[in-house]
Amino acid sequence: MKIKTTALALSASFGAALLAAYPAGALAAKDYLVTAARPNLVFVVDAKARKVVKSHTIPNTSMGNSPITLVHSRDGKTAYVIHNRWETVSGIDLESGKEVFRAELSGGDIRAKAPFAMDLSPDGKELAVFVNPTRLLPGEYQVLDPYIAVYRTDAGVDAEPARRLPVPRRVSTLAYAPKGDTLYAFSWDMLKLDPQTGAVKGKHPWRSWKNGDQGEPDTLAVWPQFEQANVFATPYYVTHADKKEGDPAALRAGIWRLDLEQDKVTFKEFENAGVVLFSSVVNPVRRDETYTVYTQLTRVNTKTGKMDRVDLDHTYYNVNVSSDGNELYIGGTQGDIAVYDSRTLKRIGNIRTPGGGDQVLTSLRIFQR
Amino acid sequence: MNRLKPLNRKAHQIDAAPTEDDVEKVVAMSAAVAGCATTFDPGWELDPFLGVAGLCQPMEADLYGCSDPCWWPAQVPDTLHNYQDWSTGNDDAARDWKALQSVFPK
Repeated sequence: MKIKTTALALSASFGAALLAAYPAGALAAKDYLVTAARPNLVFVVDAKARKVVKSHTIPNTSMGNSPITLVHSRDGKTAYVIHNRWETVSGIDLESGKEVFRAELSGGDIRAKAPFAMDLSPDGKELAVFVNPTRLLPGEYQVLDPYIAVYRTDAGVDAEPARRLPVPRRVSTLAYAPKGDTLYAFSWDMLKLDPQTGAVKGKHPWRSWKNGDQGEPDTLAVWPQFEQANVFATPYYVTHADKKEGDPAALRAGIWRLDLEQDKVTFKEFENAGVVLFSSVVNPVRRDETYTVYTQLTRVNTKTGKMDRVDLDHTYYNVNVSSDGNELYIGGTQGDIAVYDSRTLKRIGNIRTPGGGDQVLTSLRIFQR
Repeated sequence: MNRLKPLNRKAHQIDAAPTEDDVEKVVAMSAAVAGCATTFDPGWELDPFLGVAGLCQPMEADLYGCSDPCWWPAQVPDTLHNYQDWSTGNDDAARDWKALQSVFPK
């Protein structure tokens, strides 16, 4: 797998110093989870050991509003997180805990917020953040056009955007293609942007998706968890006009997948809608398998449509998968990450957040060392 | 209207822009969910299928997932803008829910 290969190469180049920074015995690349929790924590978990190995605080932030989207550099050195009521992005060195990057989005009479969408270029040099600005005037709020702020990650703790890219409203996910030559922006459609200019190079239809008798699909895609398989996956609901009102088959659920390396879309409807589905991840080894969570854990074979489902002990928002495809890490919402076997769908572990704070809407990411 | 005269700048603006074409269009503030004004679908009391089985379980699992992004601002205090310290210090909703208080419009 590409990411794992990269991690191994990086481990070799950093040598003993890097290995010494994490628990002994980690000669082979291991999976580490990185995520956030209330009130201001970014922490790293040894996935197999079920153990928190690093816990850092985000400085100068709101203590009554949780961090949201988190993206890590592929070498696992830095995590970038949106926080401070969505008005600040910080980069935290995962070894030392030092804040190495900080960008304030608001300033003057502009209140700007970053609602979820953010990604790091594959080379780690640029950070793309979707920003929604509003001018606060004495008697009114003036809604301004959104943009993608692109920062250099070496811009320090007083970072200003290197450039701003125009973009439609309602971007909920940004995702770089592994080659770095395309920045996907999931808005009304999945747009393919030139990361340098913002020019729209193409799109994969979503709102404009024509597929037989189906209506406009509905989805909620605010959890980036595509780093293991390099596949963006999101559940969706869609109506079918040929079905009578009240027919359970009139509203169907499916999984929509975009291979970020191949730029190829596949989708599969697999059941009549009746269960809430929030976020999905694709198995990097058994690549037809997609896992979706909410109050249930659902496994769908997106080639055959075969579906398996188990109840979870509480609602969770996000899910990620180990590099060998054997374990699922299920987080978000409360202060624990559940570990499940991806074959049996049985619970095999549990990890508490440092301090027990809720993870709420943050991202659950994986890197290898 | 003939007997009313605008006295301030805003009133002049209304007077000068009487037709729809002359007025700036209302633009939704929301991107995905930010802005507190555009999430109208069922969710807090009813699930998307108009039942209750699809609601978050327990409610505390979703409490800060609603307050922190201002998702259901009528049902849950909005900590993104208006009640920023409503849940400060109570980071585990399942443990700390008893410390959370009602809020009232300012």
